[in-house]
Amino acid sequence: MNVIILLILPLAAAALSFLPLPRLASVVTVASSSAIFFISLQLAEQVVSTGQPISVFPKWIAVDGLSVLMLLMIAFVGAMAAFFSLGYMSMNSHKPGRLRLYYANFNLFIFSMLAIPVLVEPTLVWIVVELTTLCSALLVCFENTHEALEAAWKYVVLSLMGAAVGLLGFLMLFATMQAAGGGTYTWDGLVAAAPRMPAVLLEVAFVMILVGLGTKAGLVPMHTWLPDAHSQAPSPVCALLSGVETTAVLYVILRLFPVLKAAPGTHAEVYAIVFGLLSVGAAAFLLLQVSDYKRMFAFSTVEHMGIILLAAGLGTSSAHYGALYQAFSHTLTKSFCFFAAGAALLAVGTREISLVRGLIRTSPVAGASLLLGGLAIAGAPPFVVFLSEFSIFRAGLSEGRFIEMALLVLFIAIGFFGILQHINQMVFGGSNSDAKLKVRLPASCLVVLLVTALLVIWLGFYLPEPLHQLLRLGASALER
Amino acid sequence: MIERIFFNLLQVLVVLVFSPLVAGVINRLKEIVQSKRGPSIFQPYRDLWKFFQKDEVISEESSWIFRATPYIAFITPIFVTLLIPVLTDYPLFFAFMADMVGGGFVLALGGFFKTLAAVDTANPYGPMGASRTRMVGFLAEPVFIIVFFTVAFVADSTIPYIVQKRWMSPPSNFLEPSHVLLMAAFFMLILAETGRIPVDNPSGHFELAMIDESKMLEYSGKGAALIKWGGYMKLFVLLCIFLNVLVTPWGLAYKQTFGNVLLAVPLVLFKIFIFILVLVIIESSLAKLRLFRITEFLGSAFVTSVAAMLMRLFSL
Amino acid sequence: MINDNLIAVSILDSLNMLAGGLFLLTAFGIVATRQAKGTLTLFITQSLLLAVSAFLLGLRHSSLHLYGVALVNVVAKAILIPWVLRKTVHEEVYTRREIDQVLNIPSSLLISLALVIIAYFLTIPLQQAIAVEFRGPNIPIGFAVLFLGAYTLAVRREAVPLLIGLLAMENGAFFAGISLARTLPLLVELAIATDGLIIVFITGVLIRAVHQHIGTTEVGAMARLKERTTDEALEETGQ
Repeated sequence: MNVIILLILPLAAAALSFLPLPRLASVVTVASSSAIFFISLQLAEQVVSTGQPISVFPKWIAVDGLSVLMLLMIAFVGAMAAFFSLGYMSMNSHKPGRLRLYYANFNLFIFSMLAIPVLVEPTLVWIVVELTTLCSALLVCFENTHEALEAAWKYVVLSLMGAAVGLLGFLMLFATMQAAGGGTYTWDGLVAAAPRMPAVLLEVAFVMILVGLGTKAGLVPMHTWLPDAHSQAPSPVCALLSGVETTAVLYVILRLFPVLKAAPGTHAEVYAIVFGLLSVGAAAFLLLQVSDYKRMFAFSTVEHMGIILLAAGLGTSSAHYGALYQAFSHTLTKSFCFFAAGAALLAVGTREISLVRGLIRTSPVAGASLLLGGLAIAGAPPFVVFLSEFSIFRAGLSEGRFIEMALLVLFIAIGFFGILQHINQMVFGGSNSDAKLKVRLPASCLVVLLVTALLVIWLGFYLPEPLHQLLRLGASALER
Repeated sequence: MIERIFFNLLQVLVVLVFSPLVAGVINRLKEIVQSKRGPSIFQPYRDLWKFFQKDEVISEESSWIFRATPYIAFITPIFVTLLIPVLTDYPLFFAFMADMVGGGFVLALGGFFKTLAAVDTANPYGPMGASRTRMVGFLAEPVFIIVFFTVAFVADSTIPYIVQKRWMSPPSNFLEPSHVLLMAAFFMLILAETGRIPVDNPSGHFELAMIDESKMLEYSGKGAALIKWGGYMKLFVLLCIFLNVLVTPWGLAYKQTFGNVLLAVPLVLFKIFIFILVLVIIESSLAKLRLFRITEFLGSAFVTSVAAMLMRLFSL
Repeated sequence: MINDNLIAVSILDSLNMLAGGLFLLTAFGIVATRQAKGTLTLFITQSLLLAVSAFLLGLRHSSLHLYGVALVNVVAKAILIPWVLRKTVHEEVYTRREIDQVLNIPSSLLISLALVIIAYFLTIPLQQAIAVEFRGPNIPIGFAVLFLGAYTLAVRREAVPLLIGLLAMENGAFFAGISLARTLPLLVELAIATDGLIIVFITGVLIRAVHQHIGTTEVGAMARLKERTTDEALEETGQ
């Protein structure tokens, strides 16, 4: 029942956001996102304590460990972004009508993302993946500048192109299912039918889905839209796009791994490792030469998607655990990074790295959080990303995948250097400009920054038992 | 045997006699569409008669090519007539001399000489028309080849009599996409090859815009008559190939008797008349393409014919 | 009786092939047509042909479900999508002509042909892998149209042809789908059709915003966002 409420809440909030009452939209959005977060916490607790999936309509809607992990991530970033929007959007003087549109779209976007892990029928999942694009397109171009519109257009066109390829992939997956003698067309049903599936058909379907949805997840070489869209959107939206949307799409691809593993003669892991390493490598070198700090974080997203896919491709249960851990830590840290970038943008009013110098003096809060975010996302030791990357590394080495791991570490190191070089210049560099009037960051932004920063630090030292259980459950869903 | 030779010659006669009529009917219908009365449908006969009466003027500077071309342009369609089913659906005496590709080459030979002759006299408009014809020609050539390939691929033969049977047995073959697409491609090809709108305007009188007509500007008297007649026959022959082989492989004589073959004459003329109606509608509703857009027109014909081939591939 | 049936089946098969051939031709048309409105007309034709093919396959396999698919397609793609497009996009946008594409039209057509041939060879192993009753011309044609739609997106710049290219890709996927996944729940089909409507609506709104704020309809030619190094960025801002 909770699952249904989870889906209805954002829809209702979207509808209410359209009502022309002052400030209603923002209040409703914050309230519903918080409620969603608490409901998903509760669902997570239920799944972890029973260890059993919750099926509402077994053929359409069901929630297992992996989905509940995704739900939790989406709901968390959703709630944080809603809070952040409260202050962030009020800083830019938008007309009330446009603000209502923003919040309505925001809620629809949340809805479409929540639906991804909740639905179990693959074609329906495809539809909600496509909906995430459509609901977020107008958020990306919310500023209506030339750049934002261009970014939104690229985003929509490339994602929808990918979606069409993915659709054919899903239809073929259905045909594969028929060829294997039928069954219910759900994730579980696919795994059950997998041993009888014709290898060629399944593999082609998988590759089409990987390419199609990989476009949306930002895998190289289909990533070209990602830095544009993720840098032009308003910062809270960036946090959602980069932090959870990409991960949620990758989740759909990950769902196919157990199917391919169970089917004889198919090689999902090869594709995953190739695409994964390609993404990490390309993103690492692109990170060295970016000129826009939001783009920098966007490229880092490409890098992390690559790491997750690579980890999933390693195929052992500890690697799967590492992949999900990485997904979780990326979501948390990346959303923090974009909140920090948003704060910096409010403080200095430009996205150019070269124009931002000595941020720690002009705006201590923005400077400190940018530094913290940069360190955390690059994978510096006391933060959560370091732990997850380390767990992947360990899993890979124990598998004997030395070359892949060596490349991975090399690329991560290059990316580390790239990110920190830019962050260092921005935060500490000699202030070349007239320190402009200091902007006071809105309270809600400060709160969000504080909460996410504390989580990023805290989880870097200690992995709470329930979370560990949840990751284990999720990994076991990839395992079967 | 004798009968077959006779019928074959009868075909030639039919083409000779009725081809100017086809041109006359087209002209008349076009004028009617434009709310004019137009010339009599027998006007082409009168023109030919008049040309034959007149003296011929031949430039001193021209070579034998100029003098030989009218005969070649006149003979080649007749030669092709021997090969194709004009009246009968069974092969006649000369039918196996050459296949459709051969027929195509023979027709192209006529065009080749016309082009040379146009350059021969150094009339300023001739070479211009000649070069344009070649442009259209070299674009149409691949389409021609692909169409024949496709026909050969689908029907396992390039002998028109065999191809024609392929579409009817079983009848569902007629609906085969490769067949339908071939018809479309071939139709576009006929428009280009016989110089009709949208590629060329056959009734235009503006030398600078002419493609086909300007090649004959230097001819007079008997030469002009032969070339014109050859042009009429070429259209008739192409229509016969298109209609009797591809579009409507019905209504031809199937028995080796006189009555049956003679009966086929009005039926074939009727089919051609229906086709002319379509042609006139197209000619009156479209404008001539700019010269460089012709590439696109023929490009689409090419795509259509290759698509026909692919569809055949898909259904294997 | 059995003989009659066989003839009926063979006629249905060739009709379906015919619909497929025309379907493929419309995709070529979408690559090559200059008029934005022309591409829209071609898209409507294409969707109708998709519906025809679904209907014929429905007859062929006596599947009520495919009739539903045909109906959904006609309503959503031939009626609602053009309507939504007209409502959202400014008249000026969809009556435009596209003067130059990235490549000239004949070369585009040749490349498209190559793509179709590639699609054919790609689908040979697939055809062999699936059960006989699911095989058919729909699969290579669907792949081909998917590729042609993607190619349209690569070479065209005007907003409406690009959108049509996107929709054509989806049509292609579907065309293969009606043969491959014949028993997909109707609910899903409906949802996919609705999704198409949302695509048109959102993209239409986006096109309108681009037209309003930037004043161009050549959305494909926008190229302000690209990778720059910090030095280039400095030069650009003049500091």
